[in-house]
Amino acid sequence: MAGCTLTGALSVACFIPGAVTVVHAPKGCAHQTFSMLHAMMNEAETKIVPEILVSGLSDKDVIFGGEACLRRALDRAAEKDPELIIVVTSCVPETIGDDCLAVCREHPYADRTLYIPTSGFLGGSAKDGENAALIGLSTLAKQADPIPGTVGIIGEKNLESEVEENFSEVARLLDLLGLTVTVRFCRNAGVSDLRKLGTVSCFILRDGRSADAGRELGKRFDRPVIGEFPRGLSGSIAFLQETGKASGLSAEKIEEAIMKENEHQKKMLGKFANLSGSEVSLGVEPFEGTLAVAREALKRLGMTESPEGIKVRLPFYLPVGVSGTMKMLYLWRRAILHG
Amino acid sequence: MDKGLCVNPVWPCAMTGACSVLAGISGINVLIHGSSGCYYYPRSLLKVPLFSTYLLESEIVFGTVNRLKEVVTNLSTSDKPIAILNTCIPALTGEDLAGAFSGESAIFVDAPGFIGNVEKGAKIAFESLGIKTNASREGVNIDGVSLLDLFWRGNLHEAERLLSQMGIPVAVRFAKDSYENLEKGAALHTVSVNPSYPSGVGTMLGSLLFPDLKDTCAKLRETFPNADIDPILEEWKRADEQLFYSSDKYLRKHEPPVVAVCAQESYAVFAKTMMERYFGSEVPVILARNSDAVSIPCETDLTKITGHIADCSPDLILGSTFEANAYPNAGFLGITPPDRSRVSISARPIAGVEGGIMFIENVLNTLIDTASLKQKKNR
Repeated sequence: MAGCTLTGALSVACFIPGAVTVVHAPKGCAHQTFSMLHAMMNEAETKIVPEILVSGLSDKDVIFGGEACLRRALDRAAEKDPELIIVVTSCVPETIGDDCLAVCREHPYADRTLYIPTSGFLGGSAKDGENAALIGLSTLAKQADPIPGTVGIIGEKNLESEVEENFSEVARLLDLLGLTVTVRFCRNAGVSDLRKLGTVSCFILRDGRSADAGRELGKRFDRPVIGEFPRGLSGSIAFLQETGKASGLSAEKIEEAIMKENEHQKKMLGKFANLSGSEVSLGVEPFEGTLAVAREALKRLGMTESPEGIKVRLPFYLPVGVSGTMKMLYLWRRAILHG
Repeated sequence: MDKGLCVNPVWPCAMTGACSVLAGISGINVLIHGSSGCYYYPRSLLKVPLFSTYLLESEIVFGTVNRLKEVVTNLSTSDKPIAILNTCIPALTGEDLAGAFSGESAIFVDAPGFIGNVEKGAKIAFESLGIKTNASREGVNIDGVSLLDLFWRGNLHEAERLLSQMGIPVAVRFAKDSYENLEKGAALHTVSVNPSYPSGVGTMLGSLLFPDLKDTCAKLRETFPNADIDPILEEWKRADEQLFYSSDKYLRKHEPPVVAVCAQESYAVFAKTMMERYFGSEVPVILARNSDAVSIPCETDLTKITGHIADCSPDLILGSTFEANAYPNAGFLGITPPDRSRVSISARPIAGVEGGIMFIENVLNTLIDTASLKQKKNR
């Protein structure tokens, strides 16, 4: 996902029911993210639109200062009596020198206000915004004893169109190990759920984008951190091994899960048996890691790679587990059998 | 007073509006002088090649002119003029960016997001392009073609068809034309397919939206005595009869729909007029996206828009999927972006004779589908 810290932070903060997100920025900055959220919600056939309250800095405010605008926005947010007010900023208040932290601290609702100083592009990229929001929100959770058999997912990409499909695939693999996701940090999890972050026995990151947050959270709660969702076929096996070990499961339990997964993969790949012997050309890698996943699938299906082969496209996303690999293979099958 | 406060703002900023004008002109490179975030949105919305300086924090501290010059120099090898579009932060730091490129073939467009909405930015972009009229230029300009408009391609095709039938050549299309053609100068007269996106170039003869079409044709004949407007008037009359026939048939079974309209002023007024004429509808909510609307109030706060809509319990929403999702009880037809309710690939017009027909046809289908769905639920 491209964009500035604001988009990144909002893609996390807007998925917390019971919280109100205040954006201190001109209206247009908030519209960009709101519009993207709307697009993604429609793709996911979810019609619930998160509310983003924007202070609406104007040309006059950038000259005379925008702190009063933020104060008014906080007043409006507080009227809703939310469990939490999350404040994020664009590059404009940073440039004109608004002291947003002081405004938040002085506000009557300060004890329920979390200020995340994102500062638009001046704070970095969308990825930095996502990490800042995840780290900021993790301060809501207290230290606790880990509950065996539980895991927390960190940094799901809320604007990814296949976010729920990816989660289902991970949940399927975790189920093989007898593990349950108790916190999705932060995807449609209320403030009280987020506070349970410290109770999970292991953190699983969506991918390397949230590595900064993963490092910070792992250290603070003293928990093992799995670096990313499984990549493709062998990635699923490695994921079972790593997660099982991190969760303190026995070698037998992990081996049993792997055996079941191997059977599942064999069954799924059987659907593409008619592609065996096909020659394909994979072309450029649009997303780091997809080529390795694709080559493994080729090998498993008895296909070969050749510059003269039928052109098949690599997906513009990293296929998560078997389900992600299948989506890629459907597109290949269409190209091979139907041009 | 909380004038600026807004929840879920539904309309883009001035920079995006300026970009939509510049991006419609082939033969120039559009360079957004700002961060990746400011570039990403118009790029994904307009789906045309754009360039950016991808400003970083350090460049804001030490000045952005050098970075801008670096990118402009690289782009200059393409021999195309460059339109530099300024964004919020370089506009705030007060660097003399226009001065830094004086004498070069760069068009400087100062439309930072905080100054207002899409229409304001589009206006600045047109002014910055410095388009002159040319008395020797034949024909008429087509105005109101914006890449942000759901119907821009269909409108352009329909406007060209109508003018061709009248025997009037098209001079310049604002803003979907080549820079080379723009430089030749515009014709003295202009017609519009969406008056809420005015270029301000040429004398405006009127809109080609269905309710305005006959008057605009009359003005075209006054201006171009050889123009043959009779076939268009005949076509309009036939369409009008057909639309009454189809809406009458609907009204034999159903009550006139109560309608909420949210769009730019021109389309909103068009939609209201059409619904009143063919259905005798009540239209208790009519809200403009553009802040310069003169005949109807402007509202871009989604919670306020939804409140107005909920108060009147409409049968039909003519607006965007922002409104449709927020008030799912009504039928919905998209007339302003975004419309995520359907896959839209074809060139659908809302202007002209075909645009009028397309609009009422889609309204009827939406109303019939909604009624049928309600019947099924009640069974």
